[in-house]
Amino acid sequence: MTSFLSKSIRQIGRGAMLAALVALPPLACTDLTEVPNDALTPDNAFKSDAELIAGIASVYARLRNPMWGYYNLSEITTDEVVVPTRGSDWFDNGRWLEIYRQTWTANSGSALDDMNGAWNDAFSGVARANLMLEILDKSTATTNEQAKAELRVLRAYFYYQLMDFFGGVPLVTGTALEANPRVSRDSVFKFVEAELLATRETLPLTRDAGEYGRLTRGAADALLASLYINAGVFTKDQGINANTYNSCAGITVSGGKDACQAASDMADSVITSGVYTLATDFKQNFSTTNEASPENIFVIALTNQPGLGMSFAMRTLHYNQLSTGGGGPWNGFATIAETYNQFDHAADKRDAMWLVGQQKSFNTGQNVNDRTGAPLIFTPTIGNIESATEGEGVRYNKFPPLPNALAGDAHPNDFPIFRLAEMYLIKAEAQLALGNTGAALANVNLVRARAFDPPKPLAAISPDVIMQERLFEFAGEGKRRQDMVRFGHFLDARQFKGSREAYRVLFPVPATQIQSNAKLVQNPGY
Amino acid sequence: MAKGRWVVAALLIGTALGSPLRAQGTGSVSGRVVDSTTQQPVANAQVQVVGTQVGGLTRLDGRYFLTGVAVGAQRVRVTRIGFGAQESAVTVTAGGTATADFTLAAVAATLSEIVVTGYGSQRREAITGSVAQVNADEANKGVVTNPNQLVQGRVSGVQMVTNNGEPGGGVQIRVRGGTSISASNDPLYVIDGVPLQNEQTVASGPSVGFDAALPRSPLNTINPSDIESITVLKDASATAIYGSRGANGVILIQTKRGSARAQTGLRYEGYAAAASPTKELGYASGDEYRSFVQQQVAAGNLDPATATSLGTANTDWEKEITRQAYSQNHNIAFAGGTEATKYRASLNYFEQQGVVVSSGLKRYQGRLNGLHSTFGGKLGIGLNLAASRVNNDYIPFENGGGFTGGVFTNVAIYNPTRPVTVTDPTTGKQVYYETGSGAQDARNPVAMVKQISDIAPENRVLGNVTGTLTLLPSLTAQTTLGVDYSGSVRQTYIPRVNAIGASTNGYARQSETNLQNLNFQQLLTYNPNFAQKHELDLVGGYEYSSFDNYGFAVEAQNFVSDQFTWNSLASGVAGAAPPPTSYDNESKLVSFFGRANYGFANKYFLTGVLRYDGSSRLAEGNKWSTFPAISGSWRLSEESFMSNRPLGLSTLALRAGWGIQGNQAVRPYGTQLLFKADPGARYPFGSGLTTGLSATQVANPDLKWETSNQINFGIDYGFKNDRFSGVIDFYNKKTKDLILEVSVPQPAVVSTRLENIGDLKNTGVEFSLDSRIFEATKRNLTVGLIGTIDRNEVTSLGEGRSFVGTGDVNGQGQTGRLSQRIMVGQPLGTFWGPKFLRVNEQGKQVFFCAKERPECVNGETTVPAGDDDEILGNANPDFTLGLTSNGRWGNFDASWLWRGEFGGDVFNNTALVYQTKSAVKQGRNFLKDALNDPDGLAEPAIFSSRWIESRSFVRLQNITLGYTFDARSVSKFSRSLRAYVSGDNLFLFSGYNGYDPEVFVSRGLAARGIDYVTFPRARTFTTGLQIEF
Repeated sequence: MTSFLSKSIRQIGRGAMLAALVALPPLACTDLTEVPNDALTPDNAFKSDAELIAGIASVYARLRNPMWGYYNLSEITTDEVVVPTRGSDWFDNGRWLEIYRQTWTANSGSALDDMNGAWNDAFSGVARANLMLEILDKSTATTNEQAKAELRVLRAYFYYQLMDFFGGVPLVTGTALEANPRVSRDSVFKFVEAELLATRETLPLTRDAGEYGRLTRGAADALLASLYINAGVFTKDQGINANTYNSCAGITVSGGKDACQAASDMADSVITSGVYTLATDFKQNFSTTNEASPENIFVIALTNQPGLGMSFAMRTLHYNQLSTGGGGPWNGFATIAETYNQFDHAADKRDAMWLVGQQKSFNTGQNVNDRTGAPLIFTPTIGNIESATEGEGVRYNKFPPLPNALAGDAHPNDFPIFRLAEMYLIKAEAQLALGNTGAALANVNLVRARAFDPPKPLAAISPDVIMQERLFEFAGEGKRRQDMVRFGHFLDARQFKGSREAYRVLFPVPATQIQSNAKLVQNPGY
Repeated sequence: MAKGRWVVAALLIGTALGSPLRAQGTGSVSGRVVDSTTQQPVANAQVQVVGTQVGGLTRLDGRYFLTGVAVGAQRVRVTRIGFGAQESAVTVTAGGTATADFTLAAVAATLSEIVVTGYGSQRREAITGSVAQVNADEANKGVVTNPNQLVQGRVSGVQMVTNNGEPGGGVQIRVRGGTSISASNDPLYVIDGVPLQNEQTVASGPSVGFDAALPRSPLNTINPSDIESITVLKDASATAIYGSRGANGVILIQTKRGSARAQTGLRYEGYAAAASPTKELGYASGDEYRSFVQQQVAAGNLDPATATSLGTANTDWEKEITRQAYSQNHNIAFAGGTEATKYRASLNYFEQQGVVVSSGLKRYQGRLNGLHSTFGGKLGIGLNLAASRVNNDYIPFENGGGFTGGVFTNVAIYNPTRPVTVTDPTTGKQVYYETGSGAQDARNPVAMVKQISDIAPENRVLGNVTGTLTLLPSLTAQTTLGVDYSGSVRQTYIPRVNAIGASTNGYARQSETNLQNLNFQQLLTYNPNFAQKHELDLVGGYEYSSFDNYGFAVEAQNFVSDQFTWNSLASGVAGAAPPPTSYDNESKLVSFFGRANYGFANKYFLTGVLRYDGSSRLAEGNKWSTFPAISGSWRLSEESFMSNRPLGLSTLALRAGWGIQGNQAVRPYGTQLLFKADPGARYPFGSGLTTGLSATQVANPDLKWETSNQINFGIDYGFKNDRFSGVIDFYNKKTKDLILEVSVPQPAVVSTRLENIGDLKNTGVEFSLDSRIFEATKRNLTVGLIGTIDRNEVTSLGEGRSFVGTGDVNGQGQTGRLSQRIMVGQPLGTFWGPKFLRVNEQGKQVFFCAKERPECVNGETTVPAGDDDEILGNANPDFTLGLTSNGRWGNFDASWLWRGEFGGDVFNNTALVYQTKSAVKQGRNFLKDALNDPDGLAEPAIFSSRWIESRSFVRLQNITLGYTFDARSVSKFSRSLRAYVSGDNLFLFSGYNGYDPEVFVSRGLAARGIDYVTFPRARTFTTGLQIEF
């Protein structure tokens, strides 16, 4: 009996043990739900006003990226900036010379790098705006309508850049990740116009100091003015005049208006808003404290933090001229003698943007040497852009650096996308196209008045005169390519460059973009 | 939730293990094991009562004694590496002692042994997949820093490329070629049955003016002397049991255990080694540089000021930063035990200096392995515990090489007419010469290695406890709890006195990395005794792994003194330093699996495997996947028609297998739309900074495992009583649903995301030959040869995509240039660029061109454009060979290992950038060879076929000569004593101009074969001693 019992117990025990072991797996965890510890997801993000403002800030943050791709391509393709190869330095797969000489192809270094970067930069701004707009649509926060208007203007600005560079692009306002075909350039033009017209009234005329940097009605109006003045280019996929002025006259825009009239009206809307005045000192617009300039309409607000500032000084100054927390400058961008010599070195205050001759340190004020130990002297002449010496080429110092900035890309000068001077010049250009030479001349001279002491007004006006005045006023502000295309001089031969084919007024769609979106059709000619 | 269940599980196990088990009547088995040819006793042979946990090792006299054997008919199996396994039937009576003597026949090392496989072990004959095993003692020669090195050149189908010559440097290890592009290609490491988390254990160094160097191997925390064997599972039928983690092969590491020897053995192993760099790249000397500059000034090509500003020194910077480096290793282990309790404990101290000043590592490790069996051998409890600390010492060398670069870039460019040190005129002290105060682009490399402190102490605890319960004579349940925890702090300080540190008034950083991996396994093994002809082995199991990786990093600068370093971060201020960062990634992997092995008449074997894996990393609906495999083998040599041994064939087996494996290298949270407050998303509204909350990842809920579909055919052969034996395997591995980081159609918040796009194919042949050339009582010679041919081909990159550019070219003036393309129809590592023709009379490089354009004249251009780029070669070898030999002549023993790779190309990025005379225009030095180049002074460095070189090489990896003293002469002191000398990396036969053709620099997706200013390789001489007390 005992032995039977013990045997039974043993068997039961063994069975239970077996059951327990076999039963273990299902008991153990098979729950595979994943909740990120170090990131938010759509399920738990944007539940407060602070989170929403942070989301909006992230869209504004995308304004900084175009200061590389969009800016460089807008400058180096023109007579304002050349990047000579110095030794192996700045060779970079030949891309800088290729941009200057306009010899890019859809597969070349500049297309795969800079143009692709410009495409991605602008579109990521569009995508962030689309995402935040979708989130705001579901949100009940109080500042909703104004925030949405702001985001729509930002998005319109990114599309404006894309249209400027590539022509028609996929026009997307949702957040689904899918391949979309390009629409016509005119459709993008109409979209940007409609978005700006629909939102401008919602935006405030002015902002409190605490909101400096956020968009106002002036920004929307200035963007519209620029859009309209470029209507002769922006509404056309093909048939842009390669060698003559592309006037806005004769193109009908919203409300049946002539585009030139619309450009003039929008420029006027800004000029007469009472919010902006020309800064008395031209240099004030570009200083490290230029947030105080009364002329700013639409700026990229920058600050002395790594990655949150400007790096133009780094691109152009010599290695030994400046010492920031992120090291010395890169000795790249220079201008050609042909352009430098157009400036009135004697009288035009705007000529002060150029650095020429013996150079001093921005930190110590002492003369500096180049890296071989010889005195650093910038010369207007560049012997050979494929093999320049360290000192060849005049440099631009329009946005003077902050010595000891925390990093090379931390110079706190705000970048003006639009400032009041441009509204006068747009108005002048529009009035000239509409046949009002007097009004045109008056507006140009109004801008010139500040640059000369005693004044040196112009007596005659033509599109080419306006283009040149825009060079003096906006050199280094990333506007030259758009201007040269509009005025029909983009493809002209110039120092170190031959004349180029008409199709190059548009950049190629970068090959990498076509690889990831088979619906994209290449621009003609490439 | 999970924790609660753990408690339940633990309680259940506890209950189960604690149940009273009354031993039935037991008896003993004893006997003696001898070598068939020499009739000498075979020590350390494993004796096992089949189907039970009862077992032990033979003593030095070849005898064994097993107690606690269940009464009745039992089978006893004896196995020993290097010998064929033997089995014998015995009848055990209660309290009696049955006798079973064995005579083992020696065979070549790869055949007939017990091979550790996934979740169990198998007789070599019964294995139907492709599995290779390395006996660690035979491979552990010279200075071996980590277990990876034990495999190098010894297993066919495994290609290993060490990143560079840094001590403990990282390794690119590829089992049967790379199967993935974006995802990891590293195999799964399993130590004593517990999968290791093969992640970077130490944070990367900071990138302050240079790109951080590649991480070191995470396996440096494991002492190679503790390793018994390493098994490499290569084909799908062998790795499918590891399911979603098996696609890149599995490396099983078994550590040494104790044995039931009569007396406890204490063993000391130690060595000391000296290493020096194998080669100098040869930069222009001070005199050469000066005379070149003067000559160019005379020719009017350089400003006269360039010559007058030169220094008077003759500094060989390459020599200045290198040294004779010493290493030492001390290992003490004792092992022993009784039939019931066996243990082994070891202590290790290892110190390795790098051949570059101020680099190296030290390791302290303790390991304890114990095994206790009770209840008549029915319950076994095992413990493996290793704790190690590695103190890493790094130098600031670059992996990629930015504008200014780290140590090796500055060795290349720093002006050789400048001295290492000068006398400071104000203090009168010797200080490092610097060209400027921080804004300069060249820094004194000696100052960099000496002044910058960059260390990382890391701790790792690897442990597991295993409970094994014999439920029925043929049914065993095994529970394993494993933990793999590692923690490290990378500590960096760049002092104010250094040129880099000067720009920020000192820079300090601490970066902590923690990896935590918990593993729970429950196995049931059914191993019934059928009639002699049938064998069956069933394994079923459940596995749960949780991973929690977290860390943080803090930086500070603007220190008032260099005394604080990283020890008082608050003595600096944040300045431009980014805000502190932290992260935490958690994930879980849950698996159910089963395997059945069936054998009939020792002739026919069949294996089926099924694994069902669920991972938290994938989105709902894609979390679970099934990985099946089936394989079989036919041992023809056991058939009667082969009994006359035609052609001398003693072994002939055919194997075939098929299976699906996964690659689970999707990062945690990798499928979701994520928002983070990214520093780059901040924006200054007003005077303050507003935090930016932005999407940092695009969602892809459709993401799933990348899977490899693999077919394997194998032949096991042996001639002349297996005096010559080996394996030949053919495989075809197709990876589909490649996890590829691709550009997405715009607009997108992030421009790339992981997608399952494209296919990849690896086909190959592997063979091995082991031969006992010569055999006598005290003299023998064995030779082993392995060979691998692997062909890798990208077969698809998804719709519309024909290529993905990769392999960024390093160096100043190379930004944006890619050297490789991943292309459909081509292998990974395909070089792509312009074809170099010659240098013309003007000293300009001339390239081939086809597409009509103004710069292309007669099919030649000096300005290459992307349209003319073509395939320039590929980094993969055509075939690789490894040749090992072991010999014994009386008391002398000798061994060597040769390795060779043939075919394949390497891109000499170092030469591209630094073999360019135009550097002199920036006051920079260049490679001496440039003096003989016809290139003009105005010519920049242009990437082209000119810089693609042959990768072929033959290397004498190791040669060792040892002498074992007669036991009599040392008996008072110890039981055995062996002394040896060894040399590592003694000869390299290669036409390559750089340091070494075996290099890895991480430059983009699946880029390989790029060499850029790496840490030089060492040639090492070692003398060592092994004493057994």
